[in-house]
Amino acid sequence: MRRSRAAAPKTDARDRLRRVLFLVPYAVRHPGIPVRDLARKCGITEQQLLDDLDFLLGVGCPPFAPDDFLDLYVEGDRVYVALHQSFSRPPRFTESEAAALAAAARALGGDGQERMLRALRESVPRDRRPSFDELVNRIYAGSPPAKHSLLGRIQQAIAERRALQLRYFTASRGAEGERRVHPYTVAQQFGHWYLYGHDESRGKALPFRLDRIRECAITDTRFEPPSEAELAKARLFSDTTGSPVRIRLGRKSAAWALARAGQIRVLSRSARGDTLVEVASAGEDWAIRFVLSFAGDAEVVAPPSARRHFGDAVRRALARYR
Amino acid sequence: MQKAQRLLDLAAFLLRAAEPVSWREIQEQFPEDYSGTGEAAIRKFERDKSELLELGIPVRYVAGDEDLPAGYLIDKDEFYLPDLGLPPEDLALLYVAGSAALAGGTFPYARDLAHALNKLSFAARAPGASEAAAVAALRLSTGEEPRPDQGEVAGRLESLSQAVAMKKRVHLVYAGAERRERTERDVDPYGLYQKGGTWFLVGHCHLRKALRSFHLGRIDSLEVNGAAPRTPDFKPPRDFSLAEVATREPWEYRVDPPLRCRILLHPPAGGGSVAAEARDSFGPRARLREEPNGAVLVEVAATNHEAIVRHVLSFGDRAEILAPRSLRERARSVLRALARRSA
Repeated sequence: MRRSRAAAPKTDARDRLRRVLFLVPYAVRHPGIPVRDLARKCGITEQQLLDDLDFLLGVGCPPFAPDDFLDLYVEGDRVYVALHQSFSRPPRFTESEAAALAAAARALGGDGQERMLRALRESVPRDRRPSFDELVNRIYAGSPPAKHSLLGRIQQAIAERRALQLRYFTASRGAEGERRVHPYTVAQQFGHWYLYGHDESRGKALPFRLDRIRECAITDTRFEPPSEAELAKARLFSDTTGSPVRIRLGRKSAAWALARAGQIRVLSRSARGDTLVEVASAGEDWAIRFVLSFAGDAEVVAPPSARRHFGDAVRRALARYR
Repeated sequence: MQKAQRLLDLAAFLLRAAEPVSWREIQEQFPEDYSGTGEAAIRKFERDKSELLELGIPVRYVAGDEDLPAGYLIDKDEFYLPDLGLPPEDLALLYVAGSAALAGGTFPYARDLAHALNKLSFAARAPGASEAAAVAALRLSTGEEPRPDQGEVAGRLESLSQAVAMKKRVHLVYAGAERRERTERDVDPYGLYQKGGTWFLVGHCHLRKALRSFHLGRIDSLEVNGAAPRTPDFKPPRDFSLAEVATREPWEYRVDPPLRCRILLHPPAGGGSVAAEARDSFGPRARLREEPNGAVLVEVAATNHEAIVRHVLSFGDRAEILAPRSLRERARSVLRALARRSA
């Protein structure tokens, strides 16, 4: 995965300590966990994990008696740790761990905001709580995409695996309709939040934008969770809506457009400062709205049908100003 | 002894002790590390103690009394991550929101967040469905093609997260909106906010002598003041509110004199109420009035005129500017030019 967080973590002392303080209790709780799984859980390579285990073997050496601390061995490709009970659970959250989690949760929202914030605060060591209080107000990851009560119901339905009855606004048809959905999870892409779940009447899993769910109710119907294999295939946007749309952006617009989140691919840049880009899967309607928002400094160039629809949209909008 | 090993040994040693451990006993256990002249050894021990606290391990000194000797200890209740005692739906929120944030590839304190998510499985009795939902959120929120500058933005976020937490001044090379001019400036970082999938730094800009927001994608280089890392360089003003800055709409940026704008948002072809959509799109400070035909009359104060025009245009024929006349005229001329070009 091309992600910076997947980049090799520095093996500085603190990183290593934080890791082993988690991996020891985790391995104790999961005896015989495969090296590969434990490494993945810790976000490191198998080699790094083996290095960490080596490091742990050195801990508690004289003047300690080694068996004072922990007994650790790798058999085949599995890890076994038996230890002194000192490290049976990980340490409390650091203030930045708790604050990052709180910021993420606040951006999604839900009924339990205050409860959750209190619980996170109390799981930070007492001496660090003032720092937590301050830090939590230094990250703002977005406004909740829907009413707290609505999100609370969605979260409860996910946790209890119960079907949801939704009143949903479909933007492409410009109409609201009733949907019955088995909520699998909530996920975020391109700055929007989606409820992802199985739509009973359409017979497949689909994304529902949270800000377009007008109302929802938890039903008594329980559902079976999807298999791991099924989830592995899941995509928020599996079918691209129509062919990719090409857009020409003026110099000013390009600076803005390319700094935004979204699936925008640069094809070429002209000497005049124009940039030709392609928007792959967001759909023609989105592309037209996007282009209009640049107030004349951008236009749809291809495919011909999209260009025609763009022209129609411009003329219809202009008609409002006659 | 290596530092990591020393810290872990020290933590294990203090956790295991039945009563407070005197400084002399600690010195005996770690002869290579804390020996030497008294002052230097104590300072080294104090540094280790703060590092342990920063890792979530509180080492405390207790003055002795009749029953207990004086010395250092780790309170077991203060050390182990407690059960959060949250209902399943709150756990689902923490799991799913945390995973989605992490999957996005850019989030402040991303490394801490990853640690926190791992630890969550110890902080809840039966995470079950929530943990499964988190795995799905992680997968679904991971973009298939990360943006080219994502790695850089993630790196800057990580440095800025630390600077915000430790209140350290930063030096930026920043590209203006049109990337024509590049400026260098010192900034006191007050906080980080996300809007429309993009992260911004907000802080006191020493060049402009005012509060400013900086788009992370336009920071060309960044340097955090490395002097005295544990001593803050500034104190954010008491009345500073990150949420207030973060929820500002583009037309509320202070660029032009304020104008009251009236906008009509029409219902989509299929009919239905657009009040919810109007609230989402025009923000909490917009005044809304529903019209009998299902349209909504929106009133906002704009201090960035071009921004409100652009926002209204993005609705196509579903929205129009009614007033003021100057902005209505601006929208009309943009559309006319586009119509001519696409004819």
